[in-house]
Amino acid sequence: MHVVVCVKQIPDPAVPGALNADHTLKREGKPILDESDSYGVEMALQLVDAAGGGEVTLISMAANEETAGLRTALAMGAAKAVLVSDPACAGSDALGTAKALAKAVERAGSVDLVLTATESSDGYTGTVPAQMAELLGWPALTFAKKVDIADGTVTIQRQTEAGYDTVQASLPALVSVTAGVVEPRYPSFKGIMAAKNKPVDICTAADLGLDGQLGWAGARQTITNVENAPARQAGEKFEDDGTGFEKVVSFLENLKVI
Amino acid sequence: MDFTESDEHALLRESVRKVAATFGHEYYARCTNDDVRPDDLWQAAADHGFLGVHLPEEYGGGGAGIYELAIVCEELAAAGTPLLLILVSAAISAEVIAKFGSPTQKSHWLPGLTTGTKMVFAITEPDAGSNSHRISTTAKRDGDVYRLNGSKTYISGVDESPQVLVVCRTGVDEETQRAKLSLFVVDTDTPGLHRTNIPMEIRAPEKQFQLFFDNVEISADRLIGDEGEGLRQVFEGLNPERIMSAMICNGVGRYALGLASQYANDRAVWGTPIGRHQGIAHPLATAKIELELARLMTQKAAWLHDNSTDRVAAGEAANMAKFASADAGLRCLDQAIQTHGGNGLASEYGLADLWGIVRLLKIAPVSREMVLNFISTASLGLPKSY
Repeated sequence: MHVVVCVKQIPDPAVPGALNADHTLKREGKPILDESDSYGVEMALQLVDAAGGGEVTLISMAANEETAGLRTALAMGAAKAVLVSDPACAGSDALGTAKALAKAVERAGSVDLVLTATESSDGYTGTVPAQMAELLGWPALTFAKKVDIADGTVTIQRQTEAGYDTVQASLPALVSVTAGVVEPRYPSFKGIMAAKNKPVDICTAADLGLDGQLGWAGARQTITNVENAPARQAGEKFEDDGTGFEKVVSFLENLKVI
Repeated sequence: MDFTESDEHALLRESVRKVAATFGHEYYARCTNDDVRPDDLWQAAADHGFLGVHLPEEYGGGGAGIYELAIVCEELAAAGTPLLLILVSAAISAEVIAKFGSPTQKSHWLPGLTTGTKMVFAITEPDAGSNSHRISTTAKRDGDVYRLNGSKTYISGVDESPQVLVVCRTGVDEETQRAKLSLFVVDTDTPGLHRTNIPMEIRAPEKQFQLFFDNVEISADRLIGDEGEGLRQVFEGLNPERIMSAMICNGVGRYALGLASQYANDRAVWGTPIGRHQGIAHPLATAKIELELARLMTQKAAWLHDNSTDRVAAGEAANMAKFASADAGLRCLDQAIQTHGGNGLASEYGLADLWGIVRLLKIAPVSREMVLNFISTASLGLPKSY
C-alpha cells in the first residue's frame, strides 16, 4: 500500500510571528513540521504496517528547498518526499496550494490513499484537503478520528458536534485526520540517522506543468489588509455585597450555561 | 570551526526532549518518593535507541559517539529527569566492552545494553577512594575460573542491574610495585556476592551499595580485554563518565534556569515582575553565563573524545568540563531556588529535590580536588602532590 501524507513546514510557533509588507507570513529561520501533520504521518505508518507492507511518501510545498520539517517526518519512518519548491510559489492561495500538492501526488506514483491534517497551524483555511480531492477526482473523507482500510475500501469515523458519522469510500481516496487520531511517535536515533539519506524529490512549478498557475500569478485572492484580532472587552464586574452569588448565577442563566 | 550542531543533532535533542517531557519531573519525583525505579523512562529511552547511540551498529547501537550520548544525557536532565545510571552503564561499561571486548563478548553483551539492560560499574573501595593503585579486591585465576575477594563501596544501581563490571587487582607490576588491574563482568546474583544498601540523603531514585566478594567464582571468559591492562582500559570509560556527569549538571542547570526565568517573569509583588529587579536578574544572568561556558567545554570534551588522537587533551577537557559543570549546575539550581523564595524549597516547584544529585556530582565520579591535582600536573607541569 502506498500512502501519501501532506505535511507543511511552518515557522516555529514558539517564536513570535511577523508579517511581510505584502501581508504574507514571514518564513525566515528554520521551519518545523506542523504538529497537526504528525498525526497523519503516524496514521500512515500504522496503516502501511497493518496492510503488511508498502510505503509512506510525504508531499510538501516550501520556499528555498527547505527540508528541516520534512526530516522530522522522514525520521518517524516515511520513505521519501516530494517537495514543491519554487520562488514562483510565493503568494499561493489555498487553491494554488491544492493544485501544486495534487500534481505532487501524481508525481509520487501509484497512490492508494492521501492523508492530510484538517488545517495547517499557520494558515487555517481548512480548504486544501477538499480542493485536492476534487482536483484528483477522488472522494474526500474529512475530520476522521479513526481510519480503517480493508479490501480496497477506507472507512472513517467522521467527527461531528454530536458524535461521529461512519463514512466509507473506495480507494484511492483522500482523508483528513483530526489531531489525536493516533499518538505520533517520536523519532528514534536510527530513524533520525536513516532520514539523512532518504530521497527528497525537489520539483518546480514547471516540472508539475503548473507554470503561471501558482503564487501571486495564479492566486484568485488578494490580501488587502491585515488587522489584529479585536482586544477582548472587559467583562462585567460584580461587587460582592453578600448577594454576589445571585448575580453570578443569573448571569450564567442568561448565557444558558446553567 | 563550526559551532552549529547538525540537523541530526537538533532532531536528536528534540526527540529526547519530547520523550522525556511525556514523563517530566513529577514522574521523577514520584519515583523517588514511592521508592520505585524510573524503569519506564529508562525503557522509553532505550526503545528510541538513545542509550546505545554511541555503540557500534552491528551490535544494535546507533553508530555515533559520546557527543551524541552527551546530548541524550543533557536533554533528559534538562527535562527534570536526569538518569544517573547512564554514567555507569552506557558511558563506562558499554563503552569499555565496545572498545576492548572480544567479538564474542561484544555480541553477547552489547545488544542487551542498547535495548535497556543495565550494567553498572564497580571501582571505588573503602580504602582506595580516588587512588586506583590501592585497589585490593583481587581476582585469582584458578583453571577455567577466576575467584574474586574483597569489597567495593558507593556502587550505584546494583539492585537494578543483572551485571556489574568490576575492577580487580590481578597482580603487581614488578618495576613500579603498583597494582595490575583487570576488568570482569560479574552477574549480580552470583553466589558469594553480597550487597548492602548505603542510606543516602540524595533525593534520587537510584540507590548506592556496598559490595562484598566472598570467593565469587566467575568463568575466565568474563575477563574484558587483557589481564593487567584494566586501568588503561577503564580510562577509556572514565572520560565519557565525566562528560555525562557534566551534562547531567548542565541539563539540571538549564531546567532550573528555565523555571527561574518563568517565575521571575510571572511573579509580581510590587506591581512589577520580580525579574525586573537587578537583584534577581543579574545573579540569574551570571549563572546563565557560567552554564553556557560549562556546556561549551563539555561539548568540546565530547568532541575530543570522539575525534582526537591527543588523549591528554581529551582527558584535560573532560576533567575541566566535569569541574565547571558541577559548579555551574549548582549555581543555577541555587539561584533558581533563591528566585523562588520559600517556594524554591516546596516540593511542588520541583527544584530543591535535585540539589542532592548535582551536589553529589561535585564529588563523584571524581572529586573537585582530584581534578585540580590532575590539571596542576598534566596541564601546568607542576610537581605531583601525591
